[in-house]
Amino acid sequence: MRLSNMSFRYSRRGPWVLDEVELELGPGEVVEVTGRNGAGKSTLLRLLAGALRPTKGSVTGRPRVVGYAPEVFPTEQPFTVAAYLAAMARVRRAAGVGDWPERLGMTHLLDRPLGDLSKGSAHKVGLAQALLASPGLIILDEPFAGLDTQTRTELPLIIGEVADAGGIVVVSDHQGGLGEFTGRRPISVVEQRIVEEAHAGTSTLRIVVDSAQAAEVAAKLRADGYEVHVSS
Amino acid sequence: MIFALVRFKLAAYARSHRLFQPAIGLLVMLGIFYAGRVPPGQELSAYADSAGLLIVVFAWAARSLLDTEPPAQRLISLTAAGGPGRELTAGLLACLAVNAGLAGLAVLAPLALGFAVVPGGEVIGQGIVLHLLGIAAGTALGALTSKPVFPSPAGSMLALFGGYVGLLLVSVTPAGPLLVPVIGWMRAAGDGTLGGALPSLAVPTVVWSGVAIAVYVRLRRTSP
Repeated sequence: MRLSNMSFRYSRRGPWVLDEVELELGPGEVVEVTGRNGAGKSTLLRLLAGALRPTKGSVTGRPRVVGYAPEVFPTEQPFTVAAYLAAMARVRRAAGVGDWPERLGMTHLLDRPLGDLSKGSAHKVGLAQALLASPGLIILDEPFAGLDTQTRTELPLIIGEVADAGGIVVVSDHQGGLGEFTGRRPISVVEQRIVEEAHAGTSTLRIVVDSAQAAEVAAKLRADGYEVHVSS
Repeated sequence: MIFALVRFKLAAYARSHRLFQPAIGLLVMLGIFYAGRVPPGQELSAYADSAGLLIVVFAWAARSLLDTEPPAQRLISLTAAGGPGRELTAGLLACLAVNAGLAGLAVLAPLALGFAVVPGGEVIGQGIVLHLLGIAAGTALGALTSKPVFPSPAGSMLALFGGYVGLLLVSVTPAGPLLVPVIGWMRAAGDGTLGGALPSLAVPTVVWSGVAIAVYVRLRRTSP
């Protein structure tokens, strides 16, 4: 999946939220998105999910099945947990709700109306519906917020399983819930751009060169096997 | 996929009891229209008035259905259904289904209770067509005044009722026949010329409703 030269703003005269973003996401990748409040993380997640269309540039290669778990699950809906998950399974043409209620520790909640759920319990419903149909891309907005210890431990395992099955996992995480999840790729949204953060065991150097030489220097460094991101 | 989402939206709408508001509005209006029995020969005129005046009820029903789903659920629904286009289509289909039910009641109830004599098939057929035009205009107006387009409830209600009154007012101006000719269809039904005039009344109504839906779809791009 690739974001090419992608820019986005909400209205014609509004400020750019994201500007000429380049991002490539490979199957099995676990991407952790950080950035200060209002930096454009949620907008990026919505663009990745296909809920918003880029103002300029393109998003290509989005997997067919996308799961999205919002930061705050909307509980103001007139369904029980079981009825809601069954309806979402039908929309997704999934066989059923599978073993997600057991794995997320929410079997005791199935008969409860959504409106009666605590924040953490509602969050689990949001996670369960996103996982229903083996997503090729799953987007989790602050998935660790309000979770109990058991589910906090379980969720990285679930994320690992989705990635092992070739799914792309994008997690916005302020809670550090992913911890030292092996192989995660941290990126952050800074000043309308996406910046790759250092992987564990690596460092990021910032090299300033004349614009005319940028392509040449980048090519040399790439030839030496380094990961290079050019910004002007 | 789309039909499962239509079903989900209809279930949420019915269980939220929001359907009561337009349904009560419909019943009150039908009560006013048919308080005195419609004499023989006046049935088409009564149907034309009903179809034109119920546009506001259809718009209200469409708006309240589209607003039933919280914004975060719309994001969940569109990813589950496989894209924003499917979520939009499901929303509009659900509106049409509800409005078809309300219009069905508006066409059938007078046959049992409002008309002194049951009219012929042609009158009933034309009554159905007029109500379908009312559904098209009402659904488009309701969609354009729903929460993603008008986040403020007060602004949205003003746009809905103001839009409807505006629709009626412009239809009596010289440009009326080219816009949504609501008053035109009421007059044509009254003076017995509706049969021949129906295509020229239907085309602008369908075109403008289509334009309004296209604008709604365009605005939803940045407001999923």
